[in-house]
Amino acid sequence: MDLIISEDSQVLNILLSAIGLLIFMALAVVLFFYFSRKKIVQSELEKANLQIEHQREVIQANLITQEAERKRIAQDLHDAISSKLNIVSLNANMLTQSDIPSEETNKIAGDILKVTTTVLESSRQIAHDLLPPTLKNFGLESALEELCDSLSDTKKFEVDYHSEYPNNTLSETSELHLFRITQELFSNAIKYSNASTVQLTLEKQEDIVSLQYVDDGRGFDLEKAKEAKGIGMSGIENRVAILNGSLQIETSEGAGMKLSVLVKLDAEEE
Amino acid sequence: MDEILNVLVDLTVYGSVLCPILYLKGFVVNNKAFKFFTLYLVAVALVQICMRIHGFLYQGEPNLHFFIYYFVSEFILLSLFFKELLEFKAIYIITLGVLGFIATQYIIDPSMYFRYNPIGSSITRLIIVSYSLLYLYKSLSDNQGFLIINIGIFIYFLSSVLVFAAGNLVFEDALAKKIASLLSNINTVLYFVFEILIIVEWWRNYRISKIRTN
Repeated sequence: MDLIISEDSQVLNILLSAIGLLIFMALAVVLFFYFSRKKIVQSELEKANLQIEHQREVIQANLITQEAERKRIAQDLHDAISSKLNIVSLNANMLTQSDIPSEETNKIAGDILKVTTTVLESSRQIAHDLLPPTLKNFGLESALEELCDSLSDTKKFEVDYHSEYPNNTLSETSELHLFRITQELFSNAIKYSNASTVQLTLEKQEDIVSLQYVDDGRGFDLEKAKEAKGIGMSGIENRVAILNGSLQIETSEGAGMKLSVLVKLDAEEE
Repeated sequence: MDEILNVLVDLTVYGSVLCPILYLKGFVVNNKAFKFFTLYLVAVALVQICMRIHGFLYQGEPNLHFFIYYFVSEFILLSLFFKELLEFKAIYIITLGVLGFIATQYIIDPSMYFRYNPIGSSITRLIIVSYSLLYLYKSLSDNQGFLIINIGIFIYFLSSVLVFAAGNLVFEDALAKKIASLLSNINTVLYFVFEILIIVEWWRNYRISKIRTN
């Protein structure tokens, strides 16, 4: 009898410990699930925060660029147009006086004509700078060529432009982005690089459009530039991001700079 | 101790009636998975009520023939529930296969109707546990609801596999009373925890939608 009872309690014990084990395992899995999930949610949150932070930086950079651009336009308008129209206005005012001799009148009229001509020219230039008509009328290739010509005209450095780009390969907006990127690169080259030659290549290879810029200027430390977040560079980065393209920069202090933008044709944003 | 357990037994019966009532209120507006889970709760409640009535009418007589309705309906409805959550078509095939197996069992040995079916209940429970585990994995990255219910299903079904598998020990005279009451007590406690989790899920996620529809 004793034996049977002890066998009973053994079965009972095994059964109980097995059930206990199952409960324990179930709880362990649930706890594991709970903590893993917490971790995953946490890391996703961090990722999202990082993204938001990045977007904020992009917006900020855009705003700063916008303000700088406005300031430049205001300055241009003031310098090239308002001040000169002031002169015209003064001269015209003098013409209204009745007692001036006709030679004087002719001279004043000549002045007015001269000034209005320059004002006209300036306003055309300002409009041209804002949105080059060549880009709209003759496409990216010609617009870049024109840009390179105007840069050569400054006699600051030699510009070597090479292009194999069928017109209208990219959409109008994308072409404008590439044009602006080049403009930004050139303006940086003028301001900082001290380069003597600049090479610009625009090519279409299969389904990729590449824009390559090489100068032999003094270059810069890429890491420092990233920390400094210069408006120009982040502007270029933003535009490449909008194009869904990739951006490669090779530069170091004293070794010039090489930058290439690759845009896949089907990835480009419409 | 026995008194507490008796209260707990009563609570689980009331709970199994309360749960479907709570869930039925949101039956129309919620998704298919919710509907299948509600049907599962209704099925469990019906079996519980039938067993209670049976207990009153034929006191002391075995009520094990209810068991098949319980575990088969539970298996079918929870499989459909997880089919909605996991979106695996294979669940239909698995379910039909297992049902075919159980049907063969009862055709070969009709007396099984008056016993526990340890193999059938273990298989169905383990399959449900597997679905639940898959769904746990799926909920790691995105929350698609039924998280608490799924945890409840996982804990209750995994822990009670052995309780049900050992059910036939009741027929071994020497062990009978002690083990039977112990097993049913363990099951009661586990089921009580499961019911609490079901109610918590409803309280946290479906209480509001009920108010909105009224």
